Amino acid sequence: MSSVALRTDGSLARPILIALAMLVAGVVLGLPLAIVLVEAFARGPGTYLAALVDPDTIDAIALTLIVALCSVSVTTVFGIAAAWCIARFTFRGRSLLLTLIDLPFSVSPVIAGLVQVLLFGRRGWLGPFLAAHDVRIVFALPGIVLATVFVTLPFVARELMPLMQEQGAEEEEAALSLGASGWQTFRRVTLPNIRFALLTGVLLANARAMGEFGAVSVVSGHIRGATNTMPLQVEILFNDYQIEAAFAVASVLALLALVTLGLKLALERRQSVLLTTKGSAP
Amino acid sequence: MSHALGRPHLVIPGFRLSLGLTTGTLAVLVLLPLAAMIAIGLANGVPAFVAALADRRVMAAFRVTIGAALVAAVVSAAFGLLLAWVLTRYRFPGRRIIDAAVDLPFALPTAVAGIALTALYAPNGWVGGLLAPFGIKVAFTPLGIVVALVFVGLPFVVRAVQPVLEDLPAHEEEAAHLLGATPAQTFRRVILPAMAPALVTGFTMAFARGLGEYGSVIFIAGNKPMLSEIVPLLIVIQLDQYNYTGAAAIGTLMLLASFVLLLAINRLQAWAGGR
Amino acid sequence: MTAAIEIRGVSKRFGSHLALDNIHLDVRPGELLALLGPSGSGKTSLLRIIAGLEAPDAGQVLFGAEDAAQRRAGEREVGFVFQHYALFRHMTVFENVAFGLRVVPRARRLPRAVIAERVTRLLEMVQLAWLADRMPAQLSGGQRQRVALARALAIEPRVLLLDEPFGALDAKVRKELRRWLRALHEDVKLTSVFVTHDQDEALELADRVVVMSAGRIEQIGGPGEVYTAPASAFVHEFLGDTNRLDCRIEGGRVVLTDGALLGRADAPDGTAVAYVRPHELDVAATREGAAVIRHASTFGPLVRLIVGFGESSLDVAMPVERWVRLGLAVDDRVSLTARYGAVFTRPGQPAVLLRPCIPMNGLRAVPGALGA
Repeated sequence: MSSVALRTDGSLARPILIALAMLVAGVVLGLPLAIVLVEAFARGPGTYLAALVDPDTIDAIALTLIVALCSVSVTTVFGIAAAWCIARFTFRGRSLLLTLIDLPFSVSPVIAGLVQVLLFGRRGWLGPFLAAHDVRIVFALPGIVLATVFVTLPFVARELMPLMQEQGAEEEEAALSLGASGWQTFRRVTLPNIRFALLTGVLLANARAMGEFGAVSVVSGHIRGATNTMPLQVEILFNDYQIEAAFAVASVLALLALVTLGLKLALERRQSVLLTTKGSAP
Repeated sequence: MSHALGRPHLVIPGFRLSLGLTTGTLAVLVLLPLAAMIAIGLANGVPAFVAALADRRVMAAFRVTIGAALVAAVVSAAFGLLLAWVLTRYRFPGRRIIDAAVDLPFALPTAVAGIALTALYAPNGWVGGLLAPFGIKVAFTPLGIVVALVFVGLPFVVRAVQPVLEDLPAHEEEAAHLLGATPAQTFRRVILPAMAPALVTGFTMAFARGLGEYGSVIFIAGNKPMLSEIVPLLIVIQLDQYNYTGAAAIGTLMLLASFVLLLAINRLQAWAGGR
Repeated sequence: MTAAIEIRGVSKRFGSHLALDNIHLDVRPGELLALLGPSGSGKTSLLRIIAGLEAPDAGQVLFGAEDAAQRRAGEREVGFVFQHYALFRHMTVFENVAFGLRVVPRARRLPRAVIAERVTRLLEMVQLAWLADRMPAQLSGGQRQRVALARALAIEPRVLLLDEPFGALDAKVRKELRRWLRALHEDVKLTSVFVTHDQDEALELADRVVVMSAGRIEQIGGPGEVYTAPASAFVHEFLGDTNRLDCRIEGGRVVLTDGALLGRADAPDGTAVAYVRPHELDVAATREGAAVIRHASTFGPLVRLIVGFGESSLDVAMPVERWVRLGLAVDDRVSLTARYGAVFTRPGQPAVLLRPCIPMNGLRAVPGALGA
């Protein structure tokens, strides 16, 4: 880009701005990540491993995986359905629906937990009914899943909607005019075209589901070994002044975040290749 | 009139199924629970609703939260603009790493960010230790809240501004340059107006996120009532005391704020996209 | 002869925009029919309705004698070639062409080997057998176009529909592919309908041309017919370059608004619009002529002139030899004569022939003749 050359002619702006940007990125983004690893290994790998194989931590990891599996499934089905109706049809109320799909993103996660307690808590609307039938939702797995679904709901839809809008409906129309059924069209034409974006959405939803703190902390009740997910376990350990253990569990979550970011980059690159190499005219 | 009825792509199947699934899921998992919250918040009448919010501690928490979110959004906007500019305009070693790292706050669980920032900015921490001799306390003060909210708000600004800067036609800048504009004039008259909508969008998104943020804040905030206690924490406290109406009232006001901000962001994005 | 496709009173509205207004049209078996019109004329909507990709608000589409509304797009046995081809980007050329055969319910599906054989034969027909394993992104525009055609033909459709088949190609490829498609149609004699906004394409390729404007059919006729006997001013204007002149009819004389006499026409008195194509105008050197040659450019065998006349300027075309013989140059004063032209007295009415008012060689002396 020649404009870059123009702007930087004999100017100090470039090195100063780059240095400032590196400083900001280092302090704001780099240091938090670094201190997690440093603190986790502060007392050596032995302590680190001991913290990870602690029974309560193992339980927290297991619960986290179950919660993520349940909520990501819901998010995925919802995301595909939402993207299909938003990107393939125009209808009255479409833009309202778009806003509502985004709503969970802009609501505080604490509210996502709060509404579960208000509905299903012991003094909530359905509390007496649930107690009479011996069903536990709040302070149990269902409540944690419901709260997690609430906060992760838009993730897959958000990835798919712009992509499907950009790809347009022509390939699907072509498939249908060639005699394919609706399901064949979805499976053989739509799905292959959106597969990387779909994986990206699932990946991001999963990262959020595993890492969700605010929503889950309200509904979990912090019952060790039973309703603690990994982020809650981090909180408990930190508040118990078991700093190394807290950072050890945190380092696993941080690793998850890094892997998620790495995979997301790779997937986005593949999806953009898929997008630019579409069968239509350049 | 099939268009008005909403079926222009008549041939594409699955409209009812997908719309039904989408609205059904949204209604059951999001809208009904939120409606229940509003109903519970207003159950004892509007005066009780107002009274629950007019409580001094609640008002203080709103002041702290809104103030910290605003300051943090301003800082995020400045830092975010700097990062977006450098990432799109210059090629330098480490650029791709920084670009990828911008998304870290999106991916890093908030609790992890919370304890990491607390450890960093505590008086004996890496950064807190540097600031302590100057009498600057970050952790366990409102300043700590700002630090946490800058961390979570920064990517919103970068990711809002970056694509606009990338798409900004180089011709416009070249034309401005050839017409005799200095770099500063070009920036102020050509580049800044072009990306103002995106910058305002990013600022608003960072602010909205800051209002509701919980996990990364509560560790570093110290949570002193009237001083460094944020609104979401107050909801948790009210719930612990089985004050469902109070919690619902606060939640309702926060929901209202989120909805207004969400509509504002949608408008801003339409504005930014329409240019 | 029954029509292959019969369109009866089809209307389609998008929001407040009336895309198709009560269309009646028969497509004859084996013909190559062009739907020609500017963008927004409704031609693509009509094609999509025939294919079942869009449903009409009113009216019927009959295939043979059968109402197509009963059939989904996939059951109409229609081959559709999309404007941007809509090739499945994640499938090879071979898989693209085979798609329509593979999605047939298992009970009626052809054996694998038969499918492979038919796909290979189709790819040979479109001269792309050597590209069978490529992905669409690796093909040129013209190659993609032919893959799309092979894919549409694979299901052995009763009708082939093409939406702007050459729209996305550059001029040279477009011309080649046009010839090739015409030859292919001569071979296969498959009933085909294609949409185009390019009058050359429609006139060169089609057996019959349907000229459309604002959701209505202006004229249906052979390529020569629509050009020489346009049914409306729109058709005349859309098919080729022309000069538009506002005029009045006064006792069979065609008089321009500034009083100059253009020619004669058998039409009732009143305001009218006359059209004269560039090659229908003659120039003659006259010192007192009111017209001035503003610009002259040689374009292959033709010379194109821009002649200033009062406020307006007219396009004139003539063979190079004639231009050389006249010995004229830019800024020379000339007189203009219309050899013939078309006069439209009311919108939607066919043209009345414009005739020169006196023998052409006497023109110069006649007061009031155009340009004198």
